[in-house]
Amino acid sequence: MISDRVASNLKAEFRRNLLPKIGLVVLTAILLMALFAPVLATHNPNTTGYFDDGTSYPPMGTTAESYEVVDGERQSIEVEPSSEHLLGTNNVGQDVFSRLLYGARTSLLVGTLGTGIAVIMGVPFGLISGYFGGRIDDAMMRVADVMLAFPSLVLALALVGVFGSMTVSIPDPFVAAGLAEGMPSSTPLPGTVTLVVGLVTWVWFARVARGEAMAIRNEEYVTAARSLGASDATILFKHVLPNSLTPVIVLATIQVASVILLESSLSFLGFSGTTLSWGYEIQQGQEYLRQNWWISTIPGVGIVLAVISINLLGDWLRDSLDPNIEGEGGGAA
Amino acid sequence: MAFGKFLLKRSLQGILVVWGVVTVLFGLRAITPGDPVNLIVDPAVDLETRERIRQELGLDEPIYVQYGDYLGDLLVGDLGYSYQSSRPVATMVIERVPATLELAIAATIVALVIAIPLGVISGTRRNEPADYGATSFSLVGISTPNFWLGIMLILLLAVEFNIFPTGRRPVAFHDALWTFLTTFYVGDLLTWLHHIALPAVTLGTYFTALITRLTRSGMLDEYGKPYVTATEAKGIPETLIRYKHVLRNTMIPIITVLGLQLGTLIGGAVVTETVFSWPGLGLRLITAINNLDWPLIQGIIVFVGISYVIINIGVDAIYATLNPRVLDE
Repeated sequence: MISDRVASNLKAEFRRNLLPKIGLVVLTAILLMALFAPVLATHNPNTTGYFDDGTSYPPMGTTAESYEVVDGERQSIEVEPSSEHLLGTNNVGQDVFSRLLYGARTSLLVGTLGTGIAVIMGVPFGLISGYFGGRIDDAMMRVADVMLAFPSLVLALALVGVFGSMTVSIPDPFVAAGLAEGMPSSTPLPGTVTLVVGLVTWVWFARVARGEAMAIRNEEYVTAARSLGASDATILFKHVLPNSLTPVIVLATIQVASVILLESSLSFLGFSGTTLSWGYEIQQGQEYLRQNWWISTIPGVGIVLAVISINLLGDWLRDSLDPNIEGEGGGAA
Repeated sequence: MAFGKFLLKRSLQGILVVWGVVTVLFGLRAITPGDPVNLIVDPAVDLETRERIRQELGLDEPIYVQYGDYLGDLLVGDLGYSYQSSRPVATMVIERVPATLELAIAATIVALVIAIPLGVISGTRRNEPADYGATSFSLVGISTPNFWLGIMLILLLAVEFNIFPTGRRPVAFHDALWTFLTTFYVGDLLTWLHHIALPAVTLGTYFTALITRLTRSGMLDEYGKPYVTATEAKGIPETLIRYKHVLRNTMIPIITVLGLQLGTLIGGAVVTETVFSWPGLGLRLITAINNLDWPLIQGIIVFVGISYVIINIGVDAIYATLNPRVLDE
């Protein structure tokens, strides 16, 4: 599916340009942060601070009266960035740095899995529509038009509203192996949100796959296969699908970035199902902007860096593989 | 194909799309778990009252009858009553339209005013510092979540420097304009401008970045075409070529992209309204979803869907006028 010519083109473009290198370095760093979150985190991201009288939710901007429990002893919470809390604590005394690491997990998991769902739904839809053409294509494209008439964020909100914010707990291998003591034993994956971002963005893949299928169905090798008696299913699977993958890969890369933005918007609006999310953290901090600017600011930097680095890699793929692809998919910035 | 026939065809397709949107929403409502009666009255209310409410809402009818009733009501513009407030949904939607419309138009103006000059500079001075600046800006603009951008603007310009308010919409544009036209008092208009500035920039940044990108790449494409070389060879001044031919041809595909991105604009408005407590449709939609107030959710999304379809038919019509070749396809 990726020929030698394409591979050498990719390498040449990568060597020539600085931007994809920056993208790769930043994205790798974020991936490592997400992967090794339990090892790198300095605090359990869910541990909140407590008042003297044991109630949680310490007020912001105070250090004297708020405490957290470490090894059974109460320690004063330092709400400003310090050596103990590298990036400070949030409005309930949780460590911002540790939550940043765990938030990367949520963003990247939802980004890739959600895009995967969109590919699985959209690509076959588009291939069938473009390959058969005619009435089938007309009918299928009207369905796609209906999908496009819903703003993706609005439809996603309605769907999460209907299905509720269900989460799936993924056991943490580091904690299970005893390498990260005191960290959460599982990572919550917002299941509904992952499904929903796939459901609202598949149509972009359908459009790209359809365009490819329409071009490929008239190629000589397809005609040859057909005259040799190959069935439509065989042709679609063996010839059309592999030859239409390049633009799908380019779009998928860009869509991961869009989906990360969409997920962060959903969790900002309170529809995520997990609190370990950059968008949720930004929403929590908005109320405390006056006293504690870092609560909202830091997770936002995480989102911007993740999305920029993916977009840089997407641009590189697009420039070296396929200059004519329809970019900027169903983003919901 | 004649222009009229083209428009008719697009309108029929549009009606089909709206029907699809309505049907999808009806389906979603039907599969929503829970008894809607509980959303209207206290769950402890006696069975007789509950049954009466079910009958009033038509919930005791078979699902296809409910669907038929719903379509019939929509055709005459009846969107039903909100579960939460018992007010007519049509009123609740219409009264929030001006705020969202103001925001969307202001954001589009911000985007066009900044993006087109930026894209032109970037496209004509390729690989110069100005181009790098513009491309970096557009990359960051496309990659920044607008709710975070809004909060950062509040932090810097409202909290730190106290130049702009942190949110709210004390006066509607049409009221401010009316005051100005009848009494020549400009204060209300200035208040409006002062309050919409940050939300408009917040919502407009993504589009500024997107249009800058599109203008740049469009201009680079156009410059590569033979007609530019031909006009240059004729000795036509560079400025004239740039604005009269290259920029004009670049604008055509951008109009189409903007039409398709309308959904993103509306989605962005939901978020921006939340950040700035801007009392538009988006803020109302969030409340409606949190309450599972289905008549209101349906009303807002159907309204958005219809607007999307109408605007895109308009965009196609403009496109067909500017580029009549599409009529033959």
